[in-house]
Amino acid sequence: MFATLAAAMLVTLAPQRQSDTTIAVPAGASLSVNNFGGGITVHGWSENRVKVHGETGRRGRVEVSLVGNTVVVKTGSREGAPSVIDLDITVPQSMELNLSGTYADITVDGVQGSISAETVNGEVNVRGGKGNITLHSIQGAVTLADASGRIEVNSVNEDVELTNVSGEIKVETTNGSVMLMGVQSASVDAGTINGDVVYEGTVKDGGSYSFGSHNGDITVSIPEGANVTVTTATANGDIDASFALPLTNTTGKHRKTFKIGSGSARMELESFQGDIEMRRPQELRDRIDRKHKHDENENDNDHDNDYDFDFHFDSSQIAGEVNSAVHYAADYAAKYAKEYAPKYARQYARTYSRNYAKTYRRTH
Amino acid sequence: MNDQWTNRLSEYLDGELDSTERASLEAHLATCGHCYATLGELRQVVARAKALADSEPETNLWPEIKAQISRDSTSRRPSRRVSFTVPQLLAASIALVLLSGGSAWLALQQRPTNTPELVAVTPPPNTRVASWTGSTDVAIAELQAALAQNEKRLDSTTVRIVRKNLAIIDRAIAEARIALRNDPGNAYLNLHLADTMRRKVDLLRRVNDMAAARS
Repeated sequence: MFATLAAAMLVTLAPQRQSDTTIAVPAGASLSVNNFGGGITVHGWSENRVKVHGETGRRGRVEVSLVGNTVVVKTGSREGAPSVIDLDITVPQSMELNLSGTYADITVDGVQGSISAETVNGEVNVRGGKGNITLHSIQGAVTLADASGRIEVNSVNEDVELTNVSGEIKVETTNGSVMLMGVQSASVDAGTINGDVVYEGTVKDGGSYSFGSHNGDITVSIPEGANVTVTTATANGDIDASFALPLTNTTGKHRKTFKIGSGSARMELESFQGDIEMRRPQELRDRIDRKHKHDENENDNDHDNDYDFDFHFDSSQIAGEVNSAVHYAADYAAKYAKEYAPKYARQYARTYSRNYAKTYRRTH
Repeated sequence: MNDQWTNRLSEYLDGELDSTERASLEAHLATCGHCYATLGELRQVVARAKALADSEPETNLWPEIKAQISRDSTSRRPSRRVSFTVPQLLAASIALVLLSGGSAWLALQQRPTNTPELVAVTPPPNTRVASWTGSTDVAIAELQAALAQNEKRLDSTTVRIVRKNLAIIDRAIAEARIALRNDPGNAYLNLHLADTMRRKVDLLRRVNDMAAARS
């Protein structure tokens, strides 16, 4: 049956704006998706079928085919510039995924196979995955949660965050922070140029841990009873710990070595400009929780400001001419911007003043 | 600083020490920062070597290799282990990165004949640690030249982001160089500079590959 399907299963969904295609797949099948712009969302389910839901513009098209053991999903445009297409794909939970895009956000949830996801301008958010997990973005944050295996995650211009992951872990970004939480691993290598690195996870005997930054702080948790030789190096920062650190060696001006317990595991903590901190796990978790709450509050306040930010123009104060309305609105907006929300208001002031001017033109 | 264990580190890493020697070396590592640091550097070289993608050579090298083997067989000497100094390790590390970056560059150029040679020069053992950066700078310049030619295949947003991040890396490299000027023998600063330059090579390679894929 699958051979028949493989022979020539090519479904062109265009020109419908929304369409669904479902095909049965053999055990061990993989999924390959390439979408230039839009979104790729993949969910896992318990059935041996792949369901592809596409939302395309008038010119967009989605092709679904079964080539050998691989379900291939391609998007394109009938003419002109590439279309923005959103794909929502449901796959067997154990399916191997190879997802790529250019202006595409990639989201995966509930899949327990190997995952490769790469985009240029977009976020990559993955929950689940086992085996080889490789996630890349140039301009977009990358997050991974509840995964295990050989994990390689990197961004260039955004943050990277891993939560509840295990296995061999390599993480890198250039202009962003690296946050690793709930990690169970004997091999972790994480670095950035311009951002902080936080590690909260296991320190296993014989393990190898390396964390580095040029401009950011390095903060790691070291559980009580851990056996680790910690080598720290910083050119311009400080070293601090919540517990006693037995110094065993100093190499040059910048490098210090501490032996904790038997020193069985190796941990390198290096930051050129930043500080190096070693904390107990609970202490670090509490700090992360506080930061998350603070960030959430800040976001809430931002929204409040967004919605509260309003102009109560008294039309009697405005001259009847459009030009003066524009002038007045801009001045008024600038006043609010300066007085109430220096961080965000200028951006909104311009928008509101333009909207006000348009409204005023229509009504006068 | 060298001690009796420094030259045994590569054997240790290869798992070629017997259990007694291994235990002795591990005990030594716990107290000798120099050997521990050197071992870390050696591990990085090995890790980078493993991370390199296999690629076909541009030309068939076997005839030359065969001829060399034939010449060597007439004056064969007992094999011996080669131990590395820190400068050699750094040079080897950078060379591995550069050779990998060079292959991407050559692929991008798609000029099977008359391809420019990218040579990673290994300094002699007594060369000061920071001197390896010359060949790295050349390779980076070549990759940047390739990117300048090919970035028109990329959208303006991507180009802007890439340039911004290259500038961030450049600032980090400049700061590391300044620190090294004041402390040229510092192993951490050398490794930090090497790693930061490796990051730049990686980013340039990645973007060049991306541009090539869109051609």
